Amino acid sequence: MKEENAIEVKDVSKSFIVFKDRGTTLKELLLFKNRREYAERKVLENISFEVKKGETVGLVGQNGCGKSTTLKLLTKIIYPDSGSIEVRGRVSSLLELGAGFHPDMTGRENIYINASIFGLKKKEIDKRLKTIIQFSELEDFIDNPVRTYSSGMYMRLAFAVAINVDADILLIDEILSVGDAGFRQKCYEKMQEIKEKGTTIVLVSHSTDQVEELCDRCYWINNGRIVMEGKPEEVDEAYYEYLEAERERIEEKERNAEIENQGSNQ
Amino acid sequence: MKTIKEIIGYREMIASLVRRDLRGRYKGSVLGFFWTFLNPLLQLSVYTIVFSKIMRNGIEDYYLFLFVALIPWMFFSTSVANGCGAVTTQAGMVKKIYFPRQILPIELVTSQFVNMLFSMLVVFLILILSGKGLSLKPLMFLPVIMLIEYFLALGMALLVSALTVYFRDLEYLMSVLILAWQFLTPVLYSIEMVPENMKTYFYINPMTSIIIAYRDILYYKRVPEMNTLILAVVVATVFMVLGWNVFSRLQKRFAEYL
Repeated sequence: MKEENAIEVKDVSKSFIVFKDRGTTLKELLLFKNRREYAERKVLENISFEVKKGETVGLVGQNGCGKSTTLKLLTKIIYPDSGSIEVRGRVSSLLELGAGFHPDMTGRENIYINASIFGLKKKEIDKRLKTIIQFSELEDFIDNPVRTYSSGMYMRLAFAVAINVDADILLIDEILSVGDAGFRQKCYEKMQEIKEKGTTIVLVSHSTDQVEELCDRCYWINNGRIVMEGKPEEVDEAYYEYLEAERERIEEKERNAEIENQGSNQ
Repeated sequence: MKTIKEIIGYREMIASLVRRDLRGRYKGSVLGFFWTFLNPLLQLSVYTIVFSKIMRNGIEDYYLFLFVALIPWMFFSTSVANGCGAVTTQAGMVKKIYFPRQILPIELVTSQFVNMLFSMLVVFLILILSGKGLSLKPLMFLPVIMLIEYFLALGMALLVSALTVYFRDLEYLMSVLILAWQFLTPVLYSIEMVPENMKTYFYINPMTSIIIAYRDILYYKRVPEMNTLILAVVVATVFMVLGWNVFSRLQKRFAEYL
C-alpha cells in the first residue's frame, strides 16, 4: 500500500446469489432441492480505485449500479469474491443512523450505546458528550427517554453521534437529507469542517450538487464498472448527458409501445 | 489473534449492550428487575413440588439440591436457546454497520452470566437461611467452574448463532433439544441414580461434569474432584474452539443472508 493512500481497491469483484425461491426451512431444503434455482448477479466487476489521505471522493451512479455495495465492502460489512481492499485508519460509516438505540433509555444513555458501536471507548465518549449534545440541539430533552422524541429529534441525535466520532475515514451514503433545512445546513458545515481537518471522505450520492460542492474527485459507476474518473464537474456533465440520453431512450420506447398498442386496438 | 484484540478494543460496546439488555429487559413490567429472581424461584417451587412431594425421591433437602444446579443450568440453557437469535435479531445492525460480529453472542452470554451472578446471591441467601450454610474452601472453586461454564456457553452460542443465519429452523429445533438436554443432565436427579451402563454416555454431555461440580461446591460443601474439573475444562475448550472457528468462517456472508 502506498504511503499517501488511505484506501486502495484492486480488481474487486462481487456477485450476489439471488435465489428465485430460496428454501430456508428444513422441509424446503429436503423436499424441494431442485427448486432452489438461483442466479448469480454480478454487482461489481474488477473495480479498482485509490483514495489519498485527506481527499474527498464521490461515487455517483444510478440505483443498483453498485455504489452502495462498494461502500459496504470498504466498511467490511461484506467481503469481496476476488481482489483486495486495503484501508488505513479508523473507519466510520454513516450508513445507519441510531444503531442500537433503545426507546426506553434516555438520549444520554443512547449516545453511549450508539457511540460504542462505532468502536469508541468510554473515555472517548465522555470527551465528546458535550459536543454531541450541543450539536443535536437537544439540551433540554437529553435525559428523557428516546421514545418521547419526534422522528426529527431522533435523527438529529443519531446524526450528532455519527458525525462526532472523529474517524480517519468517513463513509457516507446519501444522508444529507436529515432534519429540517436549518439542521441540514449545519450538517453541511460540519462536513466542510471535518474535511478541512484532513479526514478522508468517500460519499455516495445521486444528487450531483452535493458531490460537486464537497468532492475533490469523482468516480462514475455504471453496471458494476467504473466508467469515468475525474473532476466532479466533468464527471457530472458526462453522467447527466448519459441520464438524459437514457431517459429519451425510455420515452421513445414507451411512445413506440403506445403506437403499437393503438395499432392493435383498431 | 487480531480479532480478539479488536474485540477487546470494542469492550465498551459489549458493556453498554449488556447494560441496555439488563436494564431494558423488564422495562414496563410492574415487578421489573425482580423478575430475574422470581423466575428461577417459581421454577424451583414447581419442580420441588413434583419431584419431592409427588414423586418422592428421598433426597435430603431436595429444594437445595435442585436449586444449586438449576441456576447454572438456566444460565446455560438460556444462553443457548437465545443464542440462536443472537445474530438474526440484530439483522439491521449487522447489515449496516461494521463491528466484530462475535460481539453479539459475547454480549448475550455475558448478560445472562451477570443474571446468574445476581441469582447466585439468592442461592447463597437461601443456603444460609436454611441452616445448611456455606463452606469457604470449596467456595473458592466456584469462580473457576463459573468461568468454565461461561466459555462452554459462549462456544455453544457462537456455534448456534452463526448456523441459525443459514438455517432458521435451528431456533425452533433448539427449544426442543434444550428440554431433552435438561432431562439428560443430572439437574433434577443425581448422577448416582443413573444406571451404571448409561453413565459413560452421561459424561459425554458437556454439562454433566459442570453441574456435578456446582453441586459438590454448594450442596455437598466439598472440593470438586480434579477429574471432574479437568473434564469440564477440556469440553469447554473444545466447544469454544469449534464455535469460534465455525463463526469466523460463516460470518463473512452474514450481511448477505440476513
